[in-house]
Amino acid sequence: MTAIAHDRAAASFGESVAEAFANLAAQRQRSALALLGVLIGTASIVAMLTVGHMAQRETLRLFADMGVDIVQIQGAPIGEAPAALDRATIEAMPRLDPAVIASAPLALGRLPVGGGGKSADLGVAASTPALVDLTGLRVATGRFLTPMDEGGLVAVVGAGAADKLSDVGAPFTVGGKLRIRDYVFTAVGVLKPIGFTALDPMDFNDAVIIPLASARRAIDAPEPNTAMLKLRPEADAKAVGDRAIARLATPTAQLRAQSARDMIKTMNAQKAVHSRLLTAIGAISLLVGGIGVMNVMLMGVMERRREIGLRMAIGATARDVQLMFLVEAAALALVGGAAGLAFGLVAALVFAKTSGWAFSLPLYVLPLGPGMAALVGMAFGLYPAVKASRLDPIEALRAE
Amino acid sequence: MIRLRQVEKAYRTADRSVPVLREVSFDVAAGQFCAVTGPSGSGKSTLLNLVGLLDRPTAGSIALDGQEVATASADRCAEIRNRALGFVFQAFHLLPRLTAWENVALPLLYRGVPRARRRPLALAMLETVGLADRADHRPSQMSGGQCQRVAVARALIGEPRLILADEPTGSLDSVTAGEIMELLRDLNRRLGVTVLMVTHDRDLAGACQRRIEMLDGRVVADTAAA
Repeated sequence: MTAIAHDRAAASFGESVAEAFANLAAQRQRSALALLGVLIGTASIVAMLTVGHMAQRETLRLFADMGVDIVQIQGAPIGEAPAALDRATIEAMPRLDPAVIASAPLALGRLPVGGGGKSADLGVAASTPALVDLTGLRVATGRFLTPMDEGGLVAVVGAGAADKLSDVGAPFTVGGKLRIRDYVFTAVGVLKPIGFTALDPMDFNDAVIIPLASARRAIDAPEPNTAMLKLRPEADAKAVGDRAIARLATPTAQLRAQSARDMIKTMNAQKAVHSRLLTAIGAISLLVGGIGVMNVMLMGVMERRREIGLRMAIGATARDVQLMFLVEAAALALVGGAAGLAFGLVAALVFAKTSGWAFSLPLYVLPLGPGMAALVGMAFGLYPAVKASRLDPIEALRAE
Repeated sequence: MIRLRQVEKAYRTADRSVPVLREVSFDVAAGQFCAVTGPSGSGKSTLLNLVGLLDRPTAGSIALDGQEVATASADRCAEIRNRALGFVFQAFHLLPRLTAWENVALPLLYRGVPRARRRPLALAMLETVGLADRADHRPSQMSGGQCQRVAVARALIGEPRLILADEPTGSLDSVTAGEIMELLRDLNRRLGVTVLMVTHDRDLAGACQRRIEMLDGRVVADTAAA
């Protein structure tokens, strides 16, 4: 007895699905409209999740080179004199504060630099050898600054800067001469190309790096106005920043601390707002889509009353009728969900291309989009299905 | 085959209940061809719906093959309709999207018979009603008489004991109507299936083995043809 009942359900279900698609195809236009709502809802949720996933990876990539344990202290001048932070205090930071593992002072300027036969407007950063531990800088040829270079007329040249100073057939290389004001610096190293990351005080790729003690020969404001600190991984960036500001306090400058963690937090907060907005749009679209599904199903039930009555007369149970309409609603939503998944991924792909991000697909969206759509279809299909199964077969058969 | 005892049916309106059937009692023997006649509103269609388990009596007892069905569960009723009854309607009630054989095979769907096995059974049944060559036509491509033959085949495919026909010739011209009547009579004779047919056509009723006449919800005459 149970075996027969089981066989029966199995036999009907496969055919119910085929039937459902045939019915949906028969009322093409109306099905398409309901489909559209589910499609937009699923697409926006899928796009949101995928873009969010990519944004997170992008943020991480942005900080991957230098790590997230960086605090930057910047001094803005108060009054006429340029900001001047105490170099010795900055360099002593790892000893003064147990939460700091490395530190580097920087004096920054921008001026014309001559090299080879060419001249270019370049950033000039005067710092110490420790800078290499605080940034993602990597030497391509030659070497970075050493303590022996203090006060010497040597420079390390960024890859972009080297390109600008190169002439056709005469590339700028290690040993090349750089004219800054009235001094000639010798290039001891050329860096690998490097992207500009959020906490770099300057785009090092397009810059020339010289020893801090040589700054007065090249830069108008030769005293350091920026300090970069690297923290222990578990350190509290805010507290370290506050302590550093207290130690470096000077009447010449207004000090401000910025940490990679703060920036990531800000970015994540912005992203969360966007995510919530998109989720809301997606949810509303899915709701509208669900109501569309319900509408299509209700109209289908009304139009097919005679069919429902007939099916009941020839032996369909209430469950058979419910299943018939539920499968139809689920099929409708599922097609919308699958199309929405495709559209959402295409939208995310276009977004990635236009913003120069690497496209990356979070695998969990693949079942999520259509799954949600099917759920909506079932939820909104339930009422019409139950309504159909409760029709009075006599009245249903009499309907026009 | 059918046994009705003191069957009453009343429809409840807002303030009162309107009786449609009053104290209807009769038996139909297996293999009988029985017509139910009467003017509109006499309750003959209601009677057919009660016997067809599409509706429940307000009071009284209905037994099919000795089994009380007036109080059976909805799913049990569906099963009985599927296995023991076959309906033929005035409006045919074929599904327009399906071909003739698919329409005929529809009751088997609710028995879980797979499609591959439904087709030969449906084709055989179409042959029985003389429509073997229309198996793949849709209802819109067939005449009224052909549609009703398909509907008769659908009623028969489950090998029911009882055919319930509600004005089966009501939508057909007199020649076609005669053909359908002949088909029903022939099936009754050859397969021994019991037929309970509602009609207001006195000539058709007169040609039946037995005629039950109704008026105002009561059986007023029950005559057997000579």
